[in-house]
Parts: sequence; structure tokens; C-alpha cells
Amino acid sequence: MSETVLSDSTSPARATAPVDERLAYRSVFQRLLIRPEIGALIGLVGIWVFFWATSVPFGTANAAASILDVAATLGIMAVAVSMLMIGGEFDLSTGAMTGAMGILIILLVKEVGDLGGAGLSLFIAIPISLAVALAIGFFNGWMVEKTLLPSFIVTLGTFFIVKGAKLGFSKLTVDQIQVGRIDEGAGYSFWRPIFAAEWDRTKHQYEYRDVIYTLGLIIGLMIIAVAVFELFFQRRGERRPTGALAFVIGLAGLYGGVAVLHLTDGYGGNLLASVMFGVFGLLAVVGLGYWRYEPVGDRGRLSLDGTVSRPLVLAVVLFALAIAVAMILDATNNESLFFPFTEQGLRATLFLFLIGGSMTLMLIAGIRARRLSITTKTLVNLVSAAMLGLLAFFVRSQSDSIKFRTEAFSVLLILATIVAVWSIAGVLFAERTAIDRAADRLGGRLFIIGSLLVVVAFLAKLLFTTTAEIDAGLASSKFSMRIIWFFGFTAVMVWVLGRTRFGSWTFAVGGNKEAARQVGVPAARTKTQLFMLTAGAAWLVGMLLAFRLNTIQASTGDGQEFEYIIAAVVGGTLLTGGYGTALGGALGAIIMAMAQLGIPYSRWNSDWRFMFLGAILLIAVVANRFIRNKAEALRR
Amino acid sequence: MSTQLLELDNITKYYGNIIALRDITTSVNAGEVTCVLGDNGAGKSTFIKILAGVHQQTEGTIRLNGQEVRFGSPKEALAAGIATVYQDLAMVPLMSVWRNFFLGSEPVRRFGPLRWIDQDRAREITKSELARMGIDIRDTEQPVGTLSGGERQSVAIARAGYFGAKVLILDEPTSALGVKQSGVVLKRIVEARRQGLAVIFITHNPSHAYPVGDRFLILNRGQSMGNFAKGEISLEELTRLMAGGAELEQLQHELEMAIAGGNGDEGAVGTMTSTPSDS
Repeated sequence: MSETVLSDSTSPARATAPVDERLAYRSVFQRLLIRPEIGALIGLVGIWVFFWATSVPFGTANAAASILDVAATLGIMAVAVSMLMIGGEFDLSTGAMTGAMGILIILLVKEVGDLGGAGLSLFIAIPISLAVALAIGFFNGWMVEKTLLPSFIVTLGTFFIVKGAKLGFSKLTVDQIQVGRIDEGAGYSFWRPIFAAEWDRTKHQYEYRDVIYTLGLIIGLMIIAVAVFELFFQRRGERRPTGALAFVIGLAGLYGGVAVLHLTDGYGGNLLASVMFGVFGLLAVVGLGYWRYEPVGDRGRLSLDGTVSRPLVLAVVLFALAIAVAMILDATNNESLFFPFTEQGLRATLFLFLIGGSMTLMLIAGIRARRLSITTKTLVNLVSAAMLGLLAFFVRSQSDSIKFRTEAFSVLLILATIVAVWSIAGVLFAERTAIDRAADRLGGRLFIIGSLLVVVAFLAKLLFTTTAEIDAGLASSKFSMRIIWFFGFTAVMVWVLGRTRFGSWTFAVGGNKEAARQVGVPAARTKTQLFMLTAGAAWLVGMLLAFRLNTIQASTGDGQEFEYIIAAVVGGTLLTGGYGTALGGALGAIIMAMAQLGIPYSRWNSDWRFMFLGAILLIAVVANRFIRNKAEALRR
Repeated sequence: MSTQLLELDNITKYYGNIIALRDITTSVNAGEVTCVLGDNGAGKSTFIKILAGVHQQTEGTIRLNGQEVRFGSPKEALAAGIATVYQDLAMVPLMSVWRNFFLGSEPVRRFGPLRWIDQDRAREITKSELARMGIDIRDTEQPVGTLSGGERQSVAIARAGYFGAKVLILDEPTSALGVKQSGVVLKRIVEARRQGLAVIFITHNPSHAYPVGDRFLILNRGQSMGNFAKGEISLEELTRLMAGGAELEQLQHELEMAIAGGNGDEGAVGTMTSTPSDS
């Protein structure tokens, strides 16, 4: 910090120069790693892999629909609660509020009628219930601001008031602990699709689905690969068209490989396709690099010191241990009430943890090797690729389930290929060491295009079925409208938090309220608006529940407020305020939904669910702190 | 003397029956630094708070551009062009430099009813404004919490200047800083003066005040010990006055005795090469 230049005469000129030489360049990966959501993203992938490996249905479109269904209502609240927590406040009334809004709308539609004539139309009842929700949110904010009491206490009071009102009004009006039949309200047919439309994938057949899926995935991933090259490598001054030609030929050859794989069946075809992938893939990579990027200058000497060799050796040991565990323990012994304690469960868990540890260590070794020399880095990367390849074939040989033999095998093989290609590219082309706005812009755009294609591919796969699948007796599965609300709400809130003044002020009032007030941020108003946002989200969830369930229990939603807070914390939001993201809350909610459904899918005793959630919370908090410390270190 | 930007005439402040300030008279010109010196409890904080609009004087008048003013709140003082940079800085540590710079006054772009922060412009202005003050920040994206104390003070000063302050009040900006960092902040003060701001620099360190000040107001126990232009007083005299004159001389004498005694002891042992006073 102390290197600030004291001489005034030179610094203005330097500051206006596009690049500050004291600013260490951060590569795409480093920039990605300091995002607050990264911990949640890694957790999401990890938990997905864990349950995918231990359960049969996980990974099917059916499971995706169920997980997103649970994640949607949880996630809408988690995103809003994340924002409130970034603003430095808590709201314990959120859970009870969701149920209360569902009950309120039904009472307005059904029971107000008893007081005089028919019940209210939904067109009137919906705005009224929203207004009530916002008023309660305003009350929370106003109380916290006026009394300066901790919001924990104030909203604990609101929680009991709302909880009591739910039961009280239910008993008073219908003399039951549940109210129902929103479908008898006027305007139901208009509002139902908005809150509770469903897409039954078995009723939508599209024979070209797999073509779109495969093409979208392959082309999308290729574009993403090019984008990563563009973001990562140093552009050369003069382009070489011959390289472009080689690149195009390579791509065509790769596509040919896919065609061969698709059209042929059997050993010969697979071998031909593999050879084509290898040859043309290499041609494409080298061609792309020769066309656009600077060749690497000094590769340096191979030097392995303790910082690299220690994790490297440990990784190999863990890898061998994992293989040994899988060989020794009996995969067929699964006779127990509680899956993780059967021999099969132990085998799967140990294997996953050992492999995970081994791969993490390889990653650490790779990152450290970067500091030594390019040759060392390449060596470590090639070892990683070899281990992944070995793992792919081991999994294939060990398992008799289709899932492992095809899906796990191909994913691992693709990963091994990516790592191998990456190490080859790294030894041939020079990494970028300075900001290049043009390259960043092109790379960024290509990345978005590629990602969109991948999303389209997955959407096609998820939303449509083929006649063949139906004939094979595919179970019906429905995607609900609430998923769109969830994604839409998250997207809007990500924008609000990152781009608007309100978002900036949210961070400010949570980070240092007095400072924010001194420079003119309306702190009280911002906090009150955050409470209203949370209550508004609870209203939305209340509507989604009412239109889905038709009947709402007086206890609906009670106790869920802690799940929202867990999701927010898992997503990287700081409990003390001032730091976090909206997207993290959404990811945290998906993690929780996966855990919630993964347990029954894996046929474990779901009585243990909360133990699992608690463990996830603790791991997430520790991991987030660790990652944040690393990220802070990286910034300096 | 109507060209003076800010004039204070016989300012007196009572807190109940406690007299915090008595008959303080001074002035600040545009492009000048007025240093307010005083030991703890001398009345410096009360002085700032009256100018910043946190408190109101019991007696006396404040004139801004010759007009008599009385600030009812910090907001009014700010609107009149009097910006205060407090010791605790008014910064949000976890937010980036540019977000802090524009906090509360973000430039926006709009499309229909939507309004969003013009991030590119905000970053650019932050960078160039800081550069204009001679502050070379490496990355406007980095959180303010990772800046050094001197850099943070510098950002706060630059921010006040950018948002149209005519009078800049700095509350002990160097008190928590090391020698080098203090130097950084003193440079910013000189730079702010060069750009035509009237600076009121509150400190208890005369060796920080003397090189940058044009005018010195010395407070002791709520009373003015004198109001000097730069040529009228030496650093030694400033230091002496600040500590209450004779008291400091007495203290200095005692200290010299103590140190001399210490040296004698070390000498008696005979093997030590360095003395406590050296280290």
C-alpha cells in the first residue's frame, strides 16, 4: 500500500494512460474467482455431482422440474432476503408472510362476501393483498428506523403478529385451520395461468429435439472455447490467414467426428471418431492459435519445488487410494436403513471425497506451478488430464449402470480432453498480461452467444420429449410458471443491485450506515424500501402458493424464514451486511432444493434432512470466508 | 476585507453552563489554508461542528461571502458549499473506490422510467478527478477498505472538491497516519488550495500545520491564543503557544532531566552503545 507515488508531476499523466503498470493483470479466471457467488457455484456443482452419483433419478428432466419447483419459491424469497441482509437487516416475518398472503387473498375472494354480497373479484383482491404486504413491509422498516431496535427483535414481533393473525382470521371466518377454493373467485381463469401455468413436457413432442440439443451443445461449447482463448491469450500484431484455414478445417473435421459417432455403432466407428477428434481438435486449436495469438516466448525450465510437488504427490496418493477403496469395498452390499452407512454408500462417499480431494490438490498444484515456469505448469496440467482420462475408464469398467457407463464416462473424458487441450495451448501461446478492451469485448460477446446456445440446447432437452421416449413409458413431468417468476425476479434484482442507485445505496447502508447518511444517501428510506421489497416477494410467493395449492394451511410458511437466510448465506451474503449478491441467493436456494430432494431420491431416510442442511450451512460459511480471504489477497 | 470567503466573528458556544468556545474570530480566503491548532479539549471539535452545521453558535456571527449565515443542519452547510471530511471518513470499506466517490450522487442514464448508474462515466470521472488531485489510484474497482489511510483521506478530499465544495474542513486528517502517509495527505491539502478551495485544517500537530498553513488559529481551553499569518510566527513559537506556553517549557525541562539521568545510568554500565533516547 505504501508505494503510492509522492511526486505529483508524473502521476496525472500516468493515471490517464490506459493501463497502470502497478496493477497486476488479472486473467479471466482470477476475475471470476473474486466474484462473491463463486463459492455457491462450486457448491452447486459439487452437490449436483454428489446426488447425481448416489441416486437414480437425479439428472433427469423430471428431477430438474421438481428441484426447480422447490427452488423457485425458496429462491424468490432468498434473493429478496439476500438484498435485505446486504442492507444490514433481518426479517423473521418472511416465512409467515408467504402463507399469510395466500390466506389473505383467499379470504378476500371467498369470505368477504359473507359481510355483504359476493366475494371480491381477483382483479381487486390481488392489488389489495399486495398493498397489505407492502404496508407490513413498510411497518417493519418504519419500526426499525424509528426505534433503532435490532430488526431481529422488531420482525420477531411482526412474525408472531402475522402468525397469530393467520390462525385467528382462519378460525374466525371459516372456523378451520385452513382456507381454500381460490378457484371459485371471479377472474380465476385470467390469473391462474399467470401464477400457476404448467408445461407438461410429455405433451410436447419434437422429433428434432436431440438434433437441436447436440448441435446447440457442440457449437455453443466451441464458441465458448474460442471466447476463452480470446480472453486468455495475447493477440498477435499481424494475423495469419493460414491459421484461420486450419481452424476451419479442424472444426469441420470435429463435426465429421460427431457425425461418424452418431451414424456408426461399434468399436470401429468409435475408434475412427476418437482419432478424428484427436487430430482435428489439435488442428483446430493450433490453427486458431497460429491465426490470432502470439506464440509463447520463454517456456522456462522444469522446476518442481515443495510447493508444487507436495500437493502433486498427495493428489496421486489420494487418487490411488480412491481406486483402492472402490476395488476393495463391495458395491452390491446396500442392506441398511440409512444409505451412507452401507458398504455401497461408504464406497461411493469415500470414492467421491478422495477423488474430489485429489482433483482439488491438482488444481492447487497447477495454480502454484504457474508461478514457476510454463513447462512446469504444462507438466502438472498433463498429469491432471491423464488422471481424468484414467478415472473415466475406471468408472466405465467398474460400474454396470448405464448412467455411469455413458454419462459419467463421456463427461470425464470431455473434461480430460479440455484439460489436455488447455495444456497444449498453454505451452504454445502466450498468456495475456495486460488489459485488451477489444479482445475482452469480442471474447465476452462470444461467451454470451455460446452460453445462449448451450441454454437453448438444454431447454430443448428439458421442455420437449420424443415419441420414442413416450413409447418407452416416460413419466409425466411438469415445469411450473413459478420457475419463470424465479428466474425473472432474480434477473431483475441482479440488475437492480449491481446497476442502480438503489443497489449501490443498499450496499452502503449495510456497509457503513453513518457514512452513507453523511454523503446524502437516504438511509432510512433505502432500508424501508428493502423491507417492502422483501414483503413484496413474500406476497408473490403467497400468490404462487395459493394458485398452486388452492388451499392454504394456517401454518404454511412458518419457520421457512431461516431457510431463506441459510440460502442467502450459502450464496455468499455476509450476515453483518454490506457484502453479497442476489444471484448468490438464487444459487443458494437451488443448492437447498437439491439437498432437500436429493435425500429421498437417494433413498435415504429423510428424517436426517435438517442435519444435512445444517452441515451445508456450516460448510458454506467456512468455505465462503476462505474464498473471500483468498479473493482479498488476490486483490492486493 | 469583504473578499474573504468565510469570516467568523466572536463565536461563542455554551453547552449548558460549560463554555466550550469563547470569542473566536478568524477568517478563511479562497486558495488559503487556515490551520486550527489545539491540544485535546481545546475546543476544536466544537469549532468544526458549528461550521459543519451540527451545532449552532450561542453568540457571534458567521459570514459566507459577506452574507451572514447560520446553518441549521449539516445538509444546509453542505448546500452552502462547506464540506467536512471527518476523521472516520464517511466511506464504506467494502465498496469500490468509484462507488464511494459517487455515493449519494451517482450519475444516471435513463430509458423511459428506468434509471441506472452510468458506470463507465463514474469510473472515468473518479479516475480523472483523483488524478487531478495527484492521487494515482491503481484500480477504481478495488474496495476502499484495501486503501491505506492516506489514500482514503485523499479520496475523501477529492470527492468534496468534485462536488462543488468551496470550503473544505478537514478534521484531524493526519492524526492516525504514519509520516509518509501524512505527507500524502498534506500534498492533497496543498493541491486543494492551489485549486482555489478554502481549507480549514484541524490538527494537534504543529509540524504538519506549519508547512501548509497560511493562517494559524490556536485554541486552548476554548479560547483563542492568537490568530497569526504565516510570516508572523515560527514553528517553535506555534508549538509553544499550542501547549499553553510555559507548561510545555516546564515539561521539556523535566524530560531533558529524565533523559540526561537515563544516559548517566547507561554510561555507568559502560557496555551499551545505544541509549533509549536514540531508539
